[in-house]
Amino acid sequence: MRIAIAGKGGSGKTTISGTLARLLAQAGRQVVAVDADTNPNLATTLGLPPERVQHIVALPRSLLKRETQPDGSITSTFLRDPMAVLEEYGTRAPDGVRLVVMGAVGHGGAG
Amino acid sequence: MCGAHATVRGFLGELVAKAPDAFDIVVDMEAGLEHLSRGTGKHVSRFLAVVEPYYRSMETARRVSDLAAELGIAEVSAILNKVRTAADHDAVSEFCAAHKMTIAGEIPYDLGLADAERAGQPPLDFSPDTPSVTAMRKLAADLIATG
Repeated sequence: MRIAIAGKGGSGKTTISGTLARLLAQAGRQVVAVDADTNPNLATTLGLPPERVQHIVALPRSLLKRETQPDGSITSTFLRDPMAVLEEYGTRAPDGVRLVVMGAVGHGGAG
Repeated sequence: MCGAHATVRGFLGELVAKAPDAFDIVVDMEAGLEHLSRGTGKHVSRFLAVVEPYYRSMETARRVSDLAAELGIAEVSAILNKVRTAADHDAVSEFCAAHKMTIAGEIPYDLGLADAERAGQPPLDFSPDTPSVTAMRKLAADLIATG
């Protein structure tokens, strides 16, 4: 299944996302957890220790090719196989959950 | 749309479309849903909005629900969180009914979570039998049962 969890900051959505991801993994499922929040905290909630959280690499923008079309519109093409990206950038969390972090506050002047 | 958002949208779109079905994917989203495109929304099997029993949280949930509908997501389910009293439960349930959101689960207000937070530990490890974790365990089982 593909689950998206949204809510206000402070609503508990990250605690719920992380706990659900691990509970699904404990039930024997293969789980990919994606932190798409600009203030990424999912790693800690999943139980990764601070020294490993520090070394998580967010997905670089170079994975996306953006082209301006003759009509002025911009098209975006993701250049890599997502499972290969998962292998390269994914981090193993407790219970075998694989975590991908999308970005961080202040990351590379995002904006 | 900025480059960072575009990258996230691109990756999420590819991941939900191309990851083998054997993988469960859990995405911790922003309330603004900037990272979902219509194409990605189509592949999301369960869209869950966390709703707390107070006005601004419900307002955010309503906006999330509207945005999800624009992305072609047919059903938004609520996870009621930090529910302390019957009045809390009633307020959030009424809100969900009024906005056509089904209720996926209900998690009680739980000081055990603050203890885990203070200790820097996941609640699942720090206090696996605290009421909120028990409720999340039921939610996970229900999600598995309903696909």
